[in-house]
Amino acid sequence: MKRTPILVELWRFRGLLRSLVVRDLKVKYQRSLLGLVWTLLNPLLTVAILVTVFSYVLRIQVDRYWAFLISGLFAWNFLQQCLYHAVALLRDNAHLNRSVYFPREILLLSAALSKMVEFLIELAIVALVLLVFHHHTIPSSFVFGPIIIAILFVMVVGLMFPLAVLAVFFYDVQQALPIVILSLFYLSPVFYPVEMVPGSFRPFMYLNPVTGILSLFHTVFYNGLWPSWTLLGTVAATAMALFTLGYWIFRRYQGICVEIA
Amino acid sequence: MRRRPIHIYHADFLLSEFNLRVLPGESVALIGPNGCGKSTVLRLIAGIYSPTSGTIRTIGRVAAVIELGAGFNQELTGAENIELYASIMGLTREQLAKRYGEIVEFAGIPGFMNMPVKYYSSGMQARLAFSVAINIRPEILLMDEVLAVGDEAFQRRCLEHLQAFRRGGGTLITVSHDLETIRALCTRAVWLDHGRIRMAGEINEVVEAYLAASRG
Repeated sequence: MKRTPILVELWRFRGLLRSLVVRDLKVKYQRSLLGLVWTLLNPLLTVAILVTVFSYVLRIQVDRYWAFLISGLFAWNFLQQCLYHAVALLRDNAHLNRSVYFPREILLLSAALSKMVEFLIELAIVALVLLVFHHHTIPSSFVFGPIIIAILFVMVVGLMFPLAVLAVFFYDVQQALPIVILSLFYLSPVFYPVEMVPGSFRPFMYLNPVTGILSLFHTVFYNGLWPSWTLLGTVAATAMALFTLGYWIFRRYQGICVEIA
Repeated sequence: MRRRPIHIYHADFLLSEFNLRVLPGESVALIGPNGCGKSTVLRLIAGIYSPTSGTIRTIGRVAAVIELGAGFNQELTGAENIELYASIMGLTREQLAKRYGEIVEFAGIPGFMNMPVKYYSSGMQARLAFSVAINIRPEILLMDEVLAVGDEAFQRRCLEHLQAFRRGGGTLITVSHDLETIRALCTRAVWLDHGRIRMAGEINEVVEAYLAASRG
């Protein structure tokens, strides 16, 4: 069957993409009393708990630990929420996928985009708070913000694609994901800086793609420093590689998924 | 602990030696016993399924109405679902804006547009979904057993609208068990049995043969 190029199809269905993102955001906040406040309350609670534990119980020696934590935590949240959504995506929409033709990428992109909207709101607040209470000025490094956000988005979508397809073929993926996410939480510099890892182990940290992107967020937002070009380049390249591979897997197997999901 | 193996069901091919040519403006009915592959044909034409072998060529926009209201979100209102469903089916926002009034009017339940659809009756939801689908106005319309929704008056309206669609040059391929309606609507019929075309031709001939076989 003749296949229209995907970018053309995505443009044709841009109305759908917008509708789905709006629907996701609406449904989430329509019935809840506190509405948009939940976006902030949940992570705020997490921050409060983590700061208490790692400042007063297991004392991590970081200057103004709370500032360090919030600079990376929301990026992590975005990643983990998207991955959780991805494993359920094709199964939950199996009914829809069998009934109407539309590029399945839209489902994934709309989920990622609606979570990105929330992330951007959170990040804007974080940036403001850091500006006022931590830096007392506007660090020039903030200009890298959009770049690292874009890299994060590409990487996360690149991970969502193969996950969505794998979850249809292997029931275990959905079961295993919480364990994987938990492990990643400890193995990535989410609540501790990568500098704390002993020299001999540090290279292994960077094998984990999440390490790179998180340390970029820390450098830009917490340290207020320009990231090294090496790190930036490596993380960007990794994100694009993951995206290319992940999307290739998706394209290859999503047709079958429609029939068996 | 029981491990669930992966099942990819490779029965015999669902459809074999299936060749069909539909010219613009024709209206074809697919009839046959349950499980013979009729819905699969529609899904293949719509691009929802990909064929294992062979090619499918369509010229012009295809809209498939296979399961009514598949895109409906129960928490959203009627108006919001119209917008969502229309965009899933491929309408742009400009097109929808123009036809929105017609859609609401066709559905015939004007006072309920601001109510979440989970409070609608199943008949109301079906009417709303059908109203959106029928206003997509594609070149090729594929319908899968959705003709029998709503009350008498609504069904009549649907039939009129489909006749108008045909007069306007649209191509219709429909799967239905409602032989009376398809006799009124279609000029050709294809009788499918176990994935193979058993008979194809003028509507009345094929329907008679099918009925005779079902009785005998």
